[in-house]
Amino acid sequence: MFHAVVAIKQVPDTTNIRIDSETGNLVRAGVPAIMNPYDAHALAAAVEWKRRLGGRVTILSMGPPSFAASIREGIELGADRGILISARQFSGADTLATSYVLAKAIEKIHSEEPVSVIFFGKQAIDGDTAQVGPGVSVRLDVPVITYCSKIQQIDCEHNEIVVQRKAENYTETIRAALPVLLTCEKEVSKIPFASLPDLVRSLRYEPEIWGYEGPMELERDKVGSKGSPTIVFKTATPPQSEAGELIYCDAVGVANAVKMVLKKSEFKAAIKLAE
Amino acid sequence: MTIHRVWVFIEQQGGRAHPVSWELLAVANDLAKQLKTKIGSANDTVSVECVLLGNNIPALARDAISFGAERVYLVEHPVFEQYMNAPYCKNVTALAKKYTPTVFLIGATNLGRDLAGAVATSLETGLTADCTDIVVDEVDRVDHPLLLATRPAFGGNILATIVCRERLPQMASVRPRVFPVPPKSDNAVGEVISEKAVIDFRDRRVEILERIQIDRQGINLEYADIIVSGGRGLGDASGFKMLQELADVLGGKVGATRPCVDAGWIAYEHQVGQTGKTVRPKLYIAAGISGALQHKVGAQNADFIIAINKDPHAPIFDIADMGIVGDLYEVIPEMIAQVRQQKESELL
Amino acid sequence: MIKKTASMNHQLSFDAVVVGAGLAGCATAITMAKEGLKVAIVERGQRPGSKNYFGGALYTHAIAEILPDYMEWKPPFERAVTEAGFWFLSQNGLTKMTVQGGYLDKAPADAFITLRSKFDVWWADQAQRLGAFLIPKTTVVDLLRGNDGRVQGIKTDREDGVIHSPIVIICEGVNNLLTQRVGLISHDLEPSRVALGIKQLISLPADIINSRFGLQSEAHGLAVSVLGDVSLGLPGMGFVYTGKNNLSIGLGVNLDVLAEYRLKPYEVLKRYLEHPIIKPLIKDGQLLEYGAHLIPEGGWTDLPVLQTNGVLVAGDAAAMVNALHWEGTNMAMVAGRIAGETAVLAHTKNDFTSKTLSEYSRRLEDEFLLKDLRQYRGFSKFLETHPQFMDVYPSFMNDAMGLWFSAFGKPKKQLFKEIFQSLTKRRSVFHAAADMISMAKAVMGW
Repeated sequence: MFHAVVAIKQVPDTTNIRIDSETGNLVRAGVPAIMNPYDAHALAAAVEWKRRLGGRVTILSMGPPSFAASIREGIELGADRGILISARQFSGADTLATSYVLAKAIEKIHSEEPVSVIFFGKQAIDGDTAQVGPGVSVRLDVPVITYCSKIQQIDCEHNEIVVQRKAENYTETIRAALPVLLTCEKEVSKIPFASLPDLVRSLRYEPEIWGYEGPMELERDKVGSKGSPTIVFKTATPPQSEAGELIYCDAVGVANAVKMVLKKSEFKAAIKLAE
Repeated sequence: MTIHRVWVFIEQQGGRAHPVSWELLAVANDLAKQLKTKIGSANDTVSVECVLLGNNIPALARDAISFGAERVYLVEHPVFEQYMNAPYCKNVTALAKKYTPTVFLIGATNLGRDLAGAVATSLETGLTADCTDIVVDEVDRVDHPLLLATRPAFGGNILATIVCRERLPQMASVRPRVFPVPPKSDNAVGEVISEKAVIDFRDRRVEILERIQIDRQGINLEYADIIVSGGRGLGDASGFKMLQELADVLGGKVGATRPCVDAGWIAYEHQVGQTGKTVRPKLYIAAGISGALQHKVGAQNADFIIAINKDPHAPIFDIADMGIVGDLYEVIPEMIAQVRQQKESELL
Repeated sequence: MIKKTASMNHQLSFDAVVVGAGLAGCATAITMAKEGLKVAIVERGQRPGSKNYFGGALYTHAIAEILPDYMEWKPPFERAVTEAGFWFLSQNGLTKMTVQGGYLDKAPADAFITLRSKFDVWWADQAQRLGAFLIPKTTVVDLLRGNDGRVQGIKTDREDGVIHSPIVIICEGVNNLLTQRVGLISHDLEPSRVALGIKQLISLPADIINSRFGLQSEAHGLAVSVLGDVSLGLPGMGFVYTGKNNLSIGLGVNLDVLAEYRLKPYEVLKRYLEHPIIKPLIKDGQLLEYGAHLIPEGGWTDLPVLQTNGVLVAGDAAAMVNALHWEGTNMAMVAGRIAGETAVLAHTKNDFTSKTLSEYSRRLEDEFLLKDLRQYRGFSKFLETHPQFMDVYPSFMNDAMGLWFSAFGKPKKQLFKEIFQSLTKRRSVFHAAADMISMAKAVMGW
């Protein structure tokens, strides 16, 4: 039977983030928390295939209690079961510690209900590292296919999947044995508009909470900040550069403004180079 | 005696190296210089080395040396002809376990990002992605020098400096065009060490059925010298036709901001910025672009930036060398006309 | 291929369904939930408040009537309105007429300046706290009717999107598509009777707001209506509301005016904010957001049938707005409350026909609501047919006050002559008197 596990993350909507000009800090107030868009598309793909083949979709997310809202959103998009992995000990995790915990969780889920495909979004829009998916695949010894743009076929009987993958200058069609881990591009599936019963179910849904004490068996020095080789040493706002000269078309006219640009030696030099 | 190895992964496809590999060699040599001043014992040395996987690619190994590698670990086998995660990851990991490098740099290309996270997890070490700056820490901690790797976060709104404590190698990935390509030196000297490939029959779990090359002739922005870029101020997709005309007349390529790509006005391959391409053209013209930080991060390394926007307070003017406050639908056609005219009269 | 959804086994069914989680919607939901009814609120926005935008100030009488202990639940108000009034703006002058203290010196204040994105969420939280079930991101598209034509609930835009209920309370806001569809009103919004309210929300430190507007502390706030040279000489009214550390500044202008003169809303707003008297008020402020929202101003003329079998309508959807007195939000809440009480009554009697539901409009008659709407039915039209109230009289007032305060050393008989002439050069005394009478008629509803 088809059983997909989808890893999701709640992120701030980074297109709306601003820097406070006085303190130089991130202004998080009023920035909505959303399900990482790539994860949402990955989940949509999992649900689409569940509906075609029959089966179940389990979502999981490692984070603070506020991530429950995204688990609910996942149920709304069609997942059957949602697990929130949350404990004090998990905080401060970098990608290595995160992949450890997620891999352990997926192992546990697999022991109860064999997993056919593990879905990840290609990257989270806050961290942008794209590391956790491949990291989990290494820990689970499951092949990974990144940048999936299309799932062509899933055959649970013969344990096979065929996907399309997008690289910078080629696309490829790959066949892999199940189980497999996919990291997905947005085009892998469209986000469905949930039915009313699915939406209502999600509003009433309480995620299962998996903590440090159980049901996974975790080594203390591999989770959270203890298990994170990388730490943030410091943060800074990007330096503000010196503004150059400003020409107003209102004042000098469009033709003159352009003339002034064309006169610049750097402009001339750049054009010459192209010839 | 300890050898602190600074490693660079050479990315190749069909026998051609991705230029980011050479850019990273320059970074590696720079780090090596810094490391040399930090290491305690006089018996310790620093070595800049490369890892190269492929089939029938001895020429690339020589290229690596010309671009600054002192040593190249070359693993050749038909299984490496077409990139796949499992064989590459296993072999790179095996080499890293054997030679215990201190630093390992990988280009943050599609391939590099597929590979780096898997390798880092296999080595249970830290990886900092998409770095824009890497230096060796001023103060010695533990028994090996630490790297400070800086990367943009939160869509480029913050620069975070990351340290990988206690684990080796300290891994970092770097996007193409963040650092310049070093000069090639044809009489550089170095050694090539052939290593045996580790083949695991289980890697046959994944099979490439078909690979279709995409002609990126028009769209390889990262290495373009002239880019004419459009933003939301264009109003709709048709604005890009006008920008293409200007790009053609200048001999450049067209770029775009993320909102334009998200709106479907132009393909993702044209996207400049944090989640698109980092560019280093000689000339960057930003039309109708407000200059959100995420875009600035991708464009600010250009030599000469001209911005055109109706709003004099647009943030793009902060990084522009020259700004025109006006309607781009008037300025761009005028620019096209004047450049054409100048070219015709050969004044340029 | 059979898709199993929950609806195969469960029907979604409630004692009442409310369309819209705005001020009227949550008011009615709170009222019904308090009496033990099982209530669903269906909101089309991402969350309550995401489709709402206003100046503006909320009136505590309306909230207290619904939730007497509301203060204990910490409503997210900005400043109390401790000073209010009118500013008369001409091209280069401003006369301020505001009052503070006295009747405005109450605790809690009669009115609080508010941000809807915060308040609406809180207001919906109160409804949920009392047991109402909020379904967001879902639009009600039609009523569900049985074969006998009786209302059995609502249909939404989602698959399997039916909710069963014997009574539906429509609080869908100014774009009253459902109200029209149900037949409670026979026509769509009429551009001459709908205004577009546009504003900017600007961040400014609290102490700057205090000093700029002469407010003693963060607990003091100013709400003004700006009349005159606000919208390029066209009928419109401006406003200024001081938040804790933000300023809401904007204006309202009728849709037909925007269309006729081909004006872009943001341009009108920009022009207003660049007025030499207004501009310094927002100096050094950071723009947080800008937005617009429609305001139904037809009032009595556009009042729909307020109830029919199984349906009640309240708030902006029922054109319950008195523009001159800035009352719309409280009308929405009061109407919501009374609709809720009527629904409870209908359940007690198990009769959802208009016979029982007409209790709703009967009770509204007892409230200020319908009385005021009737009284002010001519006001919106009045401003349109009397543009001199936008330009002539504010300019005259500024001139008159200006002359008075620059007449030092001038014989006062001459001053009065000049003041008189500054009126008559703009408008004859006869016409001015006629204007005043027309104004009185429009306001008093004669």
